[in-house]
Amino acid sequence: MAAAAPFLVVSGLAKRFGGVRALRGVDLDVRAGEVHGLVGANGAGKSTLIRILAGVFAPDGGTITLDGRPVTIATPHQATDLGLGFIHQDLNLVTQLTGIENIMLGVPKPSRLGLIDWKTIRADAAATVARVGIDFSLDAKVATLSTAQRWLVSICRALMRKARLIVMDEPTASLSAHEAGNLFRIVRQLRREGIAILYVSHRLDEILDLCDRVTAFRDGARVMHSERAALTRASLVDAIVGGSLSQASSPPMAVSAQGEPVLTVTALARLPMVRGVDFVLRRGEVLGFAGLVGAGRSEVMRLIYGADRPHRGSMALGGSPFSPRTPRDAVKAGIGLVPEERRSEGLVLNRSVAFNMALPSNRRFTLSPLPLLSGSRRDRWARSTAARVLVKTPSVGTPVQRLSGGNQQKVVIGRWIDRDLKILILDEPSRGVDIGARGEIHRLIRSLAAEGLAVIVVSSEAEELPGLCDRVLVMAEGRIVECLEGAAINRDAIVAASYKHAPQDRASA
Amino acid sequence: MRSTAPARNAPIMMSESRPPDAVPPNRSGDATRRVLALFAKYGTILGLLVMVALFSVMAPAAFATLGNALNVLNQASLGMIIAGGLTVTVIVGELDLSVGFLASFAGVLVVGLIVNTGLPVPLAIAAVIGIGLLHGFINGLIVTKVGVNSVIATLGTGTIVVGLSFAYSSGAPIAFGVPDSFVAISLGRVAGLPHNVLIMAALIFGLWLLVERTSFGQSLQAVGGNRIAARLSGIAVDRTKIIAFMIAGGCAALTGILLASALGSGTTSAADSYLLTAFAAVFLGSATLRDGEFHILGTLFGALIIAIGFNGLAIFGAPTFYQYVLQGAILIVAVGLSSLSRRFADA
Repeated sequence: MAAAAPFLVVSGLAKRFGGVRALRGVDLDVRAGEVHGLVGANGAGKSTLIRILAGVFAPDGGTITLDGRPVTIATPHQATDLGLGFIHQDLNLVTQLTGIENIMLGVPKPSRLGLIDWKTIRADAAATVARVGIDFSLDAKVATLSTAQRWLVSICRALMRKARLIVMDEPTASLSAHEAGNLFRIVRQLRREGIAILYVSHRLDEILDLCDRVTAFRDGARVMHSERAALTRASLVDAIVGGSLSQASSPPMAVSAQGEPVLTVTALARLPMVRGVDFVLRRGEVLGFAGLVGAGRSEVMRLIYGADRPHRGSMALGGSPFSPRTPRDAVKAGIGLVPEERRSEGLVLNRSVAFNMALPSNRRFTLSPLPLLSGSRRDRWARSTAARVLVKTPSVGTPVQRLSGGNQQKVVIGRWIDRDLKILILDEPSRGVDIGARGEIHRLIRSLAAEGLAVIVVSSEAEELPGLCDRVLVMAEGRIVECLEGAAINRDAIVAASYKHAPQDRASA
Repeated sequence: MRSTAPARNAPIMMSESRPPDAVPPNRSGDATRRVLALFAKYGTILGLLVMVALFSVMAPAAFATLGNALNVLNQASLGMIIAGGLTVTVIVGELDLSVGFLASFAGVLVVGLIVNTGLPVPLAIAAVIGIGLLHGFINGLIVTKVGVNSVIATLGTGTIVVGLSFAYSSGAPIAFGVPDSFVAISLGRVAGLPHNVLIMAALIFGLWLLVERTSFGQSLQAVGGNRIAARLSGIAVDRTKIIAFMIAGGCAALTGILLASALGSGTTSAADSYLLTAFAAVFLGSATLRDGEFHILGTLFGALIIAIGFNGLAIFGAPTFYQYVLQGAILIVAVGLSSLSRRFADA
């Protein structure tokens, strides 16, 4: 490519969320007619940067210039007007509308006699539609289109809005090999037409295949930017992980003796996110699940918890076959879940601590023979449980929405202890939790395991699992690609394994 | 984990609930806010007191008597029963628009079973309450298993019931040969208290116990508060909702039976207007004492306000069609107060 003047220049961009510095003054420049790769582990700051460009967040410091002119992007609408297009994983299409309606959404439409003139619109859009290679009917509702077709609609929409830079966030995450190949062809064509593309992906082969230059973020800072020619897969991993892979790890607090198997999972699959998973969970161990966003970890938990049914494979709980049809089955079988989205999936926010803690256990507080609930007995139990899991609250009658994130999380955990529990699954237990509470939650997890509980911890933060887990399974593309044990569990090993290919990986396009 | 099921749209009237990460109200205008919050929470009680004081002053001889108080309570009883059942369904986050039509059908059916079929009174009553429960069960199945929005589902089943009611009675009231034993149910008194009041009191107390003091009641509130959290806590969400619809259906059938007994006839569409009364009572109740939460005692209170308002209209000789004006106005004010008190829950 001709080394044109950069279209987008970001310099010194900073953003802080509470005590977390998501971006520590990053630089990035993207030229017209270039595919620029952006890589980094979960939490490296890629999403924050994209959201600032999209006008969702305001930066705390730094500048953005487009075509040499400094700009402030206050709203998503403004980002569109400035020629920035965004194609997120979820694509932001209105599935009830047709393809052409989505393409024209929010764009002033030509009209005749006050009615939208679709004929003219179609004629105007025809060139763009052909450019993107749309060979299906745009009169079909988006709901009926495949993911790949939706991508094309999204790209077409960005082009119709005269986008000069298109940000693509994990475009191939849910595409088949063939569909991905098709997408790459279009990306290359857009590059030829002089459109700038910021291509964000965890898939390093794609980055190496497609991009002209690559920028890597780590912990909110730019740690590398380079021409493609100077890069190898190893150097990319190195930049993402930071330092050498042989770095010493912190020893786990305690390595439990190997207990008897509690849960045996065999060839479990639910396509496309879970593609055949085998593992054994033992009594008294803390088993970590690591991997990149979209690797299929939460989906495996949903299968174990009965929230989804598997397409293939089987599970055994304590030696007998286990196939939960609903979460209720899983709860009855002695499994507890601390969900990822605690506010929307874990708690009834306007209700009290006691109410939320007792949700699965209310039957225990009835005064037999009458089916009446003893509020005082429940509150007494809630007080002692709250003390045990270190919930700081004025009283157990306080609505949980008044508590901090950490204390809310402890309420959800408290719900499960002191039951006849065999397995406790925690999905992102320290998300949105302050450092102090995080330590307390980790100690609590260890002590529950020491009492014989089998614990699964799913975490996107590679730092969280060392020191907490006895074993860590790393998932990529719906499969387990690595099992780390004891001293081998460290941040770098987890991140490096996250970029491994699953066995029987799809052919690269 | 992602949400467990596509979230069904919340009923329209309850869409005011605050988003999970609502920002606490900003500091400016704090005093105004506090006054509004107080008004939202205690406004209904204030309204009731003002109304009672006003009527007492204006018509001391007609309004402020023990006899009239009992009369109001007696008239309010049927509305309280049907609204009590409806409260249970709105607690789980669903609406039931079929209760009024179902009550009308129950009245026609119970009289028909006694007069035309010759069933003994207790048996006829039991059969009709059973049909009310069945109707609620079907509502519940349609909403939970088929996934139809409850507004639409119950509008549909309610309309079907209207048709059945006309088909059964050919549209004419069944008024001849109604035995005294049936009429006596709602006209009798024990220790000076009308039967209807006693039946209502027992039923409302039972519902209150169920909602506030049983494990099942906690499930009802959890399902209404956060369906996903309830499901992930091992609560049988569908079953809880179905039972809630059955309670609404059973209460509606009971209301229809008592109304038929009071009228001495089974008349199609006799109880249709109870739908409005019940909704107004439920929403007024949610704006009473609690921050926009639906609860049984609140509903009782809401039904009482409406009954006193009607009584006042009657005493001052206002034509009956003003009842509709009053009821419509109350419904709007009630829903407004309900969402206000939810919005200011933290003020």
